[in-house]
Amino acid sequence: MQHLRASCCQTSCMNDSELISQILNGNMNAFTFLVNRYQKLVVHITGRLIQRHDELEDVCQDVFMKVYQNLDKYRNECKLSTWIATIAYNTSINYLRKFKKVVEVNPDDSVVLRNLTDCRSGDYERTDLHRYIHEQIELLPVQYRTVLTLYHLEEFSYQEIEQITGMPEGTIKSYLFRAKALLKEKLKFVVDENSLKSVKEITHE
Amino acid sequence: MNNEELDKIIEKSFRTKPDFQLPADFAQKVTLSVVRRDQWKNDLFEYLYLTGVIAALLFVVGGLYYYIDKELVVRVFSFMSGNIIQVIFAVFILNFILFADRVLLRLLFRSLPHPLQRRGLEFG
Repeated sequence: MQHLRASCCQTSCMNDSELISQILNGNMNAFTFLVNRYQKLVVHITGRLIQRHDELEDVCQDVFMKVYQNLDKYRNECKLSTWIATIAYNTSINYLRKFKKVVEVNPDDSVVLRNLTDCRSGDYERTDLHRYIHEQIELLPVQYRTVLTLYHLEEFSYQEIEQITGMPEGTIKSYLFRAKALLKEKLKFVVDENSLKSVKEITHE
Repeated sequence: MNNEELDKIIEKSFRTKPDFQLPADFAQKVTLSVVRRDQWKNDLFEYLYLTGVIAALLFVVGGLYYYIDKELVVRVFSFMSGNIIQVIFAVFILNFILFADRVLLRLLFRSLPHPLQRRGLEFG
């Protein structure tokens, strides 16, 4: 037991390249640690993309299976997090295609805005505004959700997002701008000064 | 409404973690699946390897006997072609026993919980 604890402590102190070499040498504790280290990144990407909580665990497991199978092909050309995020993105997109969910190349913002406006526009006052914005993010097209998650939540750079998604940098910037503009447009109509005050109280700003 | 305030709220929402959750033992589950998949692959490879070795041995021994006692080999072949259904059945049964021994039973025993786990005790 002490040996196991010592080995866990050793793995927790390792950097990514040491962790990879340990996994390739057959140390499964190192792989468990790698999963623990990157599961939040994977769950954020897959969760935002596939939007099915019942399938989330299976898709995440599939992502880590692919990570394990292809770990020997990983070259230190990019960060391990970028490489894992690429696998998570591709697995989620393949999942969406498999279930014939439309992945539009260039979404029509007027249609998107109409979808946002149509949904639960009266409910926000009773709930936290951040929760409301999160609900609206879930209604955005898949590309918008992807770039928002990667840029704001996981704090990847434009170059890294380009590597992960294969979208050109200009497109990424445009999607980020448009997603924000759409949400802002929506919020302008539904948030008044009173609710803004209550949000500030909740978030202690 | 102030544009900057709205920007602040949106930016903050973007940075707030969504409530997607994985079970606490997710990493252990994934590792177990990986280990089991590896073991299944190894077992299958071992079975195919053994089958190949046995088939090659039969072929080599048959070839040698052909030079030593040609008549015996011809008689064996004529017996086999005369009872082709029974021969295929016997080969199938033997092959299945080998497959069960090398792959299926191992898979079955690995999927059963460890005796200590069944009693709710910690093991590691």
